[in-house]
Amino acid sequence: MKTFQKLKEKPELWKQYFVREKVIDAIRAYFKGEGFHEAEVPLLLPTPSTEPFLEVFKTKLVDDQGHKWDGFLPSSPEFAMKKLLSAGSGSIFTITKSFRNGEGRSSRHNPEFSILEWYRTPGDYMDVAHDFEGLMIKINQTIGKLRKPENQQIRASEILMYQGKEYSLKAPWERISVAEAFEKYAGIDTETMLDGKRLTACGKQRGYQVDEKTTWEEIWNQIIANEIEPKLGQKGPTILYDYPVSQAALSKKKVSDPRFAERFEVFMAGMELGNCFSELTDWREQEARCLADLALRQAQGKLAYPMDTDFIEALKMGMPETGGIAVGVDRLVALFADAPDIADTLFFPVGELFNISII
Amino acid sequence: MSTMRANQLKTGVFVLYKGQPCAVVKCEFYFPGKGSAFARTRMKNVKTGNVYEYTFKSAEMVETVDVDTVELQYLYSDGDIYYFMNPQTYDQFEVDKPLFEGKEKYLLAEMKMFVSFYEGKPIGVRFPLKVTVKVTEASDAVAGNTVNAPKKTVTIETGVEVMVPLFIKQGETIIIDTATDEYVSRA
Repeated sequence: MKTFQKLKEKPELWKQYFVREKVIDAIRAYFKGEGFHEAEVPLLLPTPSTEPFLEVFKTKLVDDQGHKWDGFLPSSPEFAMKKLLSAGSGSIFTITKSFRNGEGRSSRHNPEFSILEWYRTPGDYMDVAHDFEGLMIKINQTIGKLRKPENQQIRASEILMYQGKEYSLKAPWERISVAEAFEKYAGIDTETMLDGKRLTACGKQRGYQVDEKTTWEEIWNQIIANEIEPKLGQKGPTILYDYPVSQAALSKKKVSDPRFAERFEVFMAGMELGNCFSELTDWREQEARCLADLALRQAQGKLAYPMDTDFIEALKMGMPETGGIAVGVDRLVALFADAPDIADTLFFPVGELFNISII
Repeated sequence: MSTMRANQLKTGVFVLYKGQPCAVVKCEFYFPGKGSAFARTRMKNVKTGNVYEYTFKSAEMVETVDVDTVELQYLYSDGDIYYFMNPQTYDQFEVDKPLFEGKEKYLLAEMKMFVSFYEGKPIGVRFPLKVTVKVTEASDAVAGNTVNAPKKTVTIETGVEVMVPLFIKQGETIIIDTATDEYVSRA
C-alpha cells in the first residue's frame, strides 16, 4: 500500500507526516530571529558542484531553436550560496532540494532530499555549532512533544525521545576532535592515523580487509564507522571536529595545526546530522581543489562536467570569513517524528514512486 | 569457498564473519559523503544467535557460506518445533520457531517453502510472500463508518485475526501479504 492510501485508511498518520511542516517552520523562525536572510537557489544548473564521489542527475536544456545545453540537478546548494556570500549577502540560509544518483537503498537516504544550509558571516565552524545547538532546542519547542525530565538539571525543551531512548539537547553538546576520538576509541595515535602506510597496516592487523588497492581514506572511514561512530551521539548530539585536510575539500586549514582542517560533523542516535566547515575563502586554493576533484571524478568514471568558473570568479570578489553547514532535513524530521526510516516521513518516498521493492 | 562483493550484500544472504556463519539481517548502503561507499550490516550468527554490526568497504570481497536450499512441505507443529518433509525423499526436518520471524501464524498443512541448511541444520526459511486462506469467521458488515476505507476483523483458518474490507464473507478465500499482514484481494 502506498503512503497516500495509508493516509486515507488511517487518518491518525497525518500527524507524523506534518512534523515536517513544523520542523521547517521552526528552522525559518530560528534563522529569521538570528537576522539571516533566506535565499532561493536554482535546481537546474549548467554545472553542479565538484563532488569527487557523488553521482549527479544529468538532463538537457533545449530552446525553441533546437539549441541544447547540458543541465544538471544540484547535489548541494553550496556553490550558489557562496556566490551570494561573496556578493555581500550577509548571513543566509536556504531550505531546498538536492539530488544524488547511483546510491544504494538505506533508511537514511532518498535520491531527492531536502537540505538546509546556513552560512554565518562573519563567523567560523564553532559559531555554526552554537547555531545548531540553538536550532535543535527551537525545533523541539515547536514540535511541543515535551515531557518532564527525570533529571531536574535539564529543561523539558532539552529532552528528545527517539526510538525509546532519551537524548539531551542541552548545550554545550559533547565535542571531541577526530584525533582524540581515534586515540580514545580506537587506540590509534595521530601520527599513525594520518599516515597512509601505517594506518592501512594498523587496519590489517585489526582484521580489516586490505589489499594493494585499499586506500588510506577507505581504512580511515572504516575505522570511524566500526570503532568510533557507535560511541558518538549516544546521550545527545556529539560534534566530531577537526578532520584531516584531505577529508575537508571546502574548508580552511587550522592555523595551529595545518594537518587538520576546520570541519565538524554532528552525530546523534546513529545518524550523521550535519557537516560544517570554516569556509575556504582563498580562490586559488579553491580552484586547485576543484580541479583535483574533477580529475578524481574522471579517474572513477563518473559523469563529466566542467568546473563552475562563476564560483571561482565570485570568490575573487572576496568571500568573507564564514562558517557554513549542510544539514539533512529529512533526518531531522525523522528524529522529531520518532521515525526509524526517513521514508516514513515522506509522502512520496522514491521506492513507492518508482515501484522499487524495499528489502 | 565462494565470495561476493560487499555492495551485493542484502538481507537473507549467508556470510562468514570472523569464521562464523551469519545471516545478514540488515544491510544498508552508507556513504560518508566526502569518501567512498560502505555497506553497513547487522548479522546474526546462525549457530549462537549472537548479533554483530559491521561496516564493510563496498568494494571488499566477503566470504559467503555454502548453504543448501531445499523446498520442503509443512506437516505439523509440536510446541515450538515445526515439522517439514522433503516431498522428493520423504525425509523429515525440524524447524525452530524463531526462523519464521512471526509468520508461523500463516502456516497451513502442505504449504511449501524453501528452507536453507548449514551443516545439516535449518538456518533460514523463505516464507511465501502471499498466502491464500479461507475465512472461517466473519461478522456481517456494520453500518456506520464507511468514510475511511472501512475494514473489519475476521478469523482465518489458521486461527489468527486479520483486517479485511467489509464485503468479505465467511467461507470466502482471500490472499494475505505475510510481510505486512495486510489483505491483498479475494483469491
